[in-house]
Amino acid sequence: MSANALLELRDVAKVFADTVALSPTSFAIEEGSFVSIVGPSGCGKSTLFNVIAGLLKPDAGEVRVANQLVTGATGHVGYMLQKDLLVPWRTVEDNITMAARLTRRVTAEDRAEARRIAVQYGLGDFLRHYPSALSGGMRQRVAFMRTLVTHHALLLLDEPFGALDAQTRLEMQQWLLQVWRETGRTVLFITHDVDESIFLSDRVLVMSPRPGRVVADLANPLARPREIATLTEPAFIHLKTQIMALLHGPSA
Amino acid sequence: MSASVGPAITARRVARRRGVARTLGRNVGIPFGSLVLLGLVWQGIVVGFHIQPYIAPRPMQAFEAVKGDWATLWPLVLGTIRETIYGYASGALLGVFLGVVMAKVAFLQRMVYPVLVLSQAVPIIALAAPLVLILGFSVVPIVIIVAWIVFFPVTVNVLDGLSHVDRDLLNLARVYGASRWRTFLQIEIPATTTSLFSGLKIGATYAVTGAIIGELVASDGSSLALYQEHANSNLNTAAVYGTTMLMTAIGISWFLLVVGAEVLMTPWQRRSVARAPLRRARRAGLNAVLTPK
Repeated sequence: MSANALLELRDVAKVFADTVALSPTSFAIEEGSFVSIVGPSGCGKSTLFNVIAGLLKPDAGEVRVANQLVTGATGHVGYMLQKDLLVPWRTVEDNITMAARLTRRVTAEDRAEARRIAVQYGLGDFLRHYPSALSGGMRQRVAFMRTLVTHHALLLLDEPFGALDAQTRLEMQQWLLQVWRETGRTVLFITHDVDESIFLSDRVLVMSPRPGRVVADLANPLARPREIATLTEPAFIHLKTQIMALLHGPSA
Repeated sequence: MSASVGPAITARRVARRRGVARTLGRNVGIPFGSLVLLGLVWQGIVVGFHIQPYIAPRPMQAFEAVKGDWATLWPLVLGTIRETIYGYASGALLGVFLGVVMAKVAFLQRMVYPVLVLSQAVPIIALAAPLVLILGFSVVPIVIIVAWIVFFPVTVNVLDGLSHVDRDLLNLARVYGASRWRTFLQIEIPATTTSLFSGLKIGATYAVTGAIIGELVASDGSSLALYQEHANSNLNTAAVYGTTMLMTAIGISWFLLVVGAEVLMTPWQRRSVARAPLRRARRAGLNAVLTPK
């Protein structure tokens, strides 16, 4: 595919027992873009994610990150789930540097970067707090910073805001867009929230279950930066109608 | 500079001290009060029912018996403490080791677990006799008996803790490319701390009991348990009760020590902000001393 594809999947497939979790799937994601995957539960989103992260070995096909073959290998992407997975025995600062701690000695530069990024994105006053003292939204921010400092160009986010209330989720979406714009990372974002998938991304991949597969790859024409008003623009509604039809059948 | 921030710091310190006093009052005062109440109930029963001193002494008589023979009792108390420490330490280490090994090697878990359960089903008294036959009357079989009792709750809790570490957290470590060893040190061990201390606390309450049973069967002539037995056969009931109080005190102290260790090692369970001892020391001007010009 194109030379500037950061992630490339070729005919990746996965079968569990006699269930086709993921039928042969191919797509590429351009460097610096924000791509959402939307679909109902059981459509193979998480299987796809775990294959890209290297946690699952696909039965067929290959995964390339930055033109390097990484099928079934970990350590090539940033990764964040709905559960923040902060460890309660470490402070915010030490949670942000967790990836370093798990692979090598944590350096003064690691700590300095963690502090800088926390200050920059609004958690400067909480560096020495334990996670139990933070709200759900703050915890997800810390989890995201922990993902950022791994310095992987590609970030996989699996429903990171799924457990937050609607108000906080909207704030977090705007926050995420700001961080994405300023850091120039590439994001692959899983959600089952159609609004969220449109609001955030340049492209929406729609998945469908039994067998798990990508049924549509839609470009998002909405201009950036996006505001709350974006959610009610005609182009937004149009794309939403299209996706809803794909998810629930044309009658909906 | 220090003069200008002085009053604020002092006010904060006073407030903190007041907080400490309140916490101490609640955590030490109330339990101590309930102990005093227990003593009063005891006193009331003995006096109220006109119970003879050789059947059941008053609390003060038991105290007096201990005080009066303190010179003899003190070395025996130290002996019991020593047996408890050796037995508890080796039992706890063995317990952690077995828990980790069983959590990591499924085959060993299937093989070893039934044997461990069997070891606890054997009455400890029945175990003591052959131990003395093999090792003789000494501190060694006593220490073994304590370790025998202590290791089991530790093993069970460590195994339980290690098998319930969040799968997603372990996956996250894998995505980061963490080695198994680092994952073990940075994730699995700290995640098991709470379970480990549950096991250690249960073990602590049993450890002194184990030492006393051991002394009864295996000690070489002088021990707290034998002292009590001697007092019992002389109908010196006050000394029997006094010795029991001593044994109980050792057990409670041991338990509190373990609780104290837990408090020190798991600050995140009580605090919302981590202490920064180094930073505070620097602010206090230690930095000038620590870094030579």
